[in-house]
Amino acid sequence: MGIHSSREKLCSLTEAVSRIENGSIVAVGGNLSAREPMAIIREMIRQGKRDMHSIGGAHGVDIDLLCAGGVLKKVQNSYVGFEADFGLAPNYRRMVQEKKVIPLDTDCVAVLVQLRASVFGLPFMPMKLVSGTDILKLHPEYVTMSCPYTGEKVTLVPAVRPDWAIIHAHKSDPRGNVKLYPPYFADLLAVEASKNSIISVEEIVSEEEMNEIGATIPYYEVTAVVELPYGAHPTSCYPDYTYDRVHLSEYVSLGNRGEEVFKNEYLGKFVYGVKDHEEYLELVGGEKRLGELKKWNESDETWQRLLKEEVSAG
Amino acid sequence: MTVAGIEYYTIDELMAVCMARTIKDGDTIFNGVAVPLPFTAIMLAFKTHAPNAVFWGGLLAGLNPDPPFLPPTSGDSVMLHGANPVLHLHQIFDLAMRGELDRIFFSGAQIDKFGNLNNTLIGSEDNIKIKLPGGAGSSHIGCFAGNFTIWSVRHEARISKKGDKVYTLVDSVDFITTLGHRTNMMTRDEMNLSGGGPDRVITNLGTFDFDPETKVMRLKTLHPGVSVEDIKANTGFEPVVDNRVSETPPPTREEVAIIRKLDPMETRKSGFSKEALEKKYDF
Repeated sequence: MGIHSSREKLCSLTEAVSRIENGSIVAVGGNLSAREPMAIIREMIRQGKRDMHSIGGAHGVDIDLLCAGGVLKKVQNSYVGFEADFGLAPNYRRMVQEKKVIPLDTDCVAVLVQLRASVFGLPFMPMKLVSGTDILKLHPEYVTMSCPYTGEKVTLVPAVRPDWAIIHAHKSDPRGNVKLYPPYFADLLAVEASKNSIISVEEIVSEEEMNEIGATIPYYEVTAVVELPYGAHPTSCYPDYTYDRVHLSEYVSLGNRGEEVFKNEYLGKFVYGVKDHEEYLELVGGEKRLGELKKWNESDETWQRLLKEEVSAG
Repeated sequence: MTVAGIEYYTIDELMAVCMARTIKDGDTIFNGVAVPLPFTAIMLAFKTHAPNAVFWGGLLAGLNPDPPFLPPTSGDSVMLHGANPVLHLHQIFDLAMRGELDRIFFSGAQIDKFGNLNNTLIGSEDNIKIKLPGGAGSSHIGCFAGNFTIWSVRHEARISKKGDKVYTLVDSVDFITTLGHRTNMMTRDEMNLSGGGPDRVITNLGTFDFDPETKVMRLKTLHPGVSVEDIKANTGFEPVVDNRVSETPPPTREEVAIIRKLDPMETRKSGFSKEALEKKYDF
């Protein structure tokens, strides 16, 4: 991490995202359908960010949208897709097949070890021997050596120090002490390993309240904090809201209809068609729809109903 | 568990039971991504013969969860229900590297005769015809987990748009995302890997282990109504078939009752063909 000792971290979304340079290595927070920094991602696309390189584990709509919006050139993730829920990631898949995005498929374990090397300030880390897979062909930088003490063969992976971690969390105070509720995924590691971080949060709270509840991420690891309620939409941000399966089903179905349709009917509407996050929230149904997503904890039946919803045909 | 109303079982339930039986009591178990059927199997084992299993419920890293239902996406927080403590993701992988993960479940868009799995791409690195999502943690965990169970709900031959026969169980995968027992060049043992590799394969047609000499998949049991000829017609290589092939033991009514209670959303049925799901089997 870099040390960000300022005690004034509050920032607008536009200002925070404008600091990210083209060509950066970016660690995206959250995981699969959960707590991905989607409002930050939409702003990155609006600002025309280019040539970026993502590093991370198992992700979904975040990486897919960053590809569709022209932000990512290289994807070094272990998984990008929608699991049994909606299957393949439509834009990522298409752009890789059209050679517009370079897939540097890796493995969850490698990513975590590489981020930890950065946390420890080391140029590389050894890990338990891996061998025999074609993932290693994509990563000639992963090398095997013998341990100088025991002779055991180990695999070395280089440190990865992302330029930016982008995370969506629950609460922050103005100095950037951040409260994250479980599941953490690899977010704490991503922030600690990165030079800079932008954290969007559901709510800014006072220093007094943060002292009361206790912070999860220390303020000196945080470059900028932006208050963006529902900033993970359409992914979930438990315990506040579940994922918007109606929106995601529409997303995947538009993505599966090809570049032009997705550009006009998704990007044109939900990314370029709104000037800020507030307009986006209105467009996706406002408080009425978003309030529905908060009802997951009313009963197990309501929760299951929300996880089954789909956009109606036609 | 009452078994009233449990009149039949379906293929997803049979597979979940076969997969659960690969877990021993006390095993440490993890599963990460795209996992409705493994979650069902693991939770079933936990509630029947393996109450002392140590289970991390997906990438949320909640220990020994007791969810009211199983989710369509494994990132969902229902997998934290009843879980305590919630760990950091790297702790699971560290444990696996230490050699303390006994079993994990992996599937593959392609699975070859040595148990190599492809979840990365169809085609070649220079000419990617279909970009698959990726292997998540299976590439490295496959090298050092005690063993892994391979599963496939699409053990079948399909006809491609070009009219070719396309298999899930292929002679050779286009890309090795997860190493089985050997590449064309070397065996797992010759590589000095710490993990034991795949020991069981559970599909919608039957179950397999691996021939100890050749490391080729060996037919062990046939699901009800499936013949050796059906297996051969739906497999892109010649599996080892000897005189010890038997019928897959059916689930008990109690196991099926537990499965249906565990998974009211029926996420476990995802990926199967419609015809496969329509078949009802008598106990």
